[in-house]
Amino acid sequence: MTPAAPLLTLLVIPTGIGCAIGGYAGDGLPAARLLAAASGCLVTHPNVMNGASLYWSDQRIHYVEGSALDRFAAGELALRPVRRQRLGVLLDAGIEDSLRLRHLQVAEGCRASLGLEIGPVVTTDRPLEVSLNRGPSGMSWGRLGQPDALLRAGERLKALGATAIAVVSRFPDDDGSEALQAYRQGSGVDGLAGAEAVISHLLSGHLGLPCAHAPALAPLEPDPRLDPRAAGEELGHTFLACVLVGLSRAPDLVSLGADLERRVALADPGLLLPEAIGAVVAPAGALGGGAVLACAERGVPLISVANPCLLQVTAGALGLPALAASSYSEAAGLLLALREGISPAALTRPLAPLLPLAS
Amino acid sequence: MERGPGPLRPQILAALRQHGDPLRWAITAVEPSGFATVASAGPALGDPSGDRPGRLRLEAVMVR
Repeated sequence: MTPAAPLLTLLVIPTGIGCAIGGYAGDGLPAARLLAAASGCLVTHPNVMNGASLYWSDQRIHYVEGSALDRFAAGELALRPVRRQRLGVLLDAGIEDSLRLRHLQVAEGCRASLGLEIGPVVTTDRPLEVSLNRGPSGMSWGRLGQPDALLRAGERLKALGATAIAVVSRFPDDDGSEALQAYRQGSGVDGLAGAEAVISHLLSGHLGLPCAHAPALAPLEPDPRLDPRAAGEELGHTFLACVLVGLSRAPDLVSLGADLERRVALADPGLLLPEAIGAVVAPAGALGGGAVLACAERGVPLISVANPCLLQVTAGALGLPALAASSYSEAAGLLLALREGISPAALTRPLAPLLPLAS
Repeated sequence: MERGPGPLRPQILAALRQHGDPLRWAITAVEPSGFATVASAGPALGDPSGDRPGRLRLEAVMVR
């Protein structure tokens, strides 16, 4: 018996909210691989896939920057899988020479060892001036002092033929704050993630291209108490390799803004269309983001997974229908049921009796 | 923000656009509304309408 057709599934693990799974250095990857196997087609975002020097490439997983994923869920974009992207590299002028050289050598390594098509490389005309902060909830956020410089460099890369863009910006060094120690030891929030999301959202939305971000930072002293989930960030001098690999086959972003565009897209069998989304998987306490709410509006089944984080924005609190899963393993089972057309309600007991409506 | 009837996302986007162009946002807390929350014995939780009053705390980064 052949498996049922793939069930296009979105996996969302919001960045910068301290998720126990997926809140660190690519530690959502095993869950993504499992859900990709269960669904046959998974769309997810860089926070799930990026493990600094660690990454995984799977033809069933589509790497889509978070704001583009939101627009896909909202029916504004379709995705076109590609064999490869031509990766432009956008470097912040605020990166010092030695760190800049490290990043260029990572790009060279990915060309030589992985066969990725990389170039051109453009440096911003002024430092981007990234700063980090936290919201009242404890969620990490960030500020970009020179957004126009980012956009100018991105426009130049696009004009030079780049079809996807890896951004490297200089982030403020942290010389051992309590927050950083907590993160490295497995009990804190990724303080860089919020600013990274802001940068990639801005650039991807402006250019309509797949984009992802790697922070440039001075190396940290080794920590013998390092949590395994943060270990991916300790293996090299940069966080760039995973971004280049992820973007190398990231799908093109196809606007569905006008009726004509939508009709043309619907006739293209090679596109992943938002109408085909069959499920969305998200942490049970972090259901208040754009992708999940857009899917809920469209009646897409929501699987809420127990994955502790800072937030308690649950299905019950928002009044959203959801299939609750106690783990990503259980979520994979639910996806498989949906893919095979099995009602999840039939898999639990008690099974409530049918209540005929009065005529 | 105070949640009104109907789909939630358009209400959030409209509220945020009063302050600029929202680049990244999330609901970070939901205050109890006084309405009974829905719980079921099966795996499904929630109200299929997704439509209930209440107060939401939002955090966002805006383009200005």
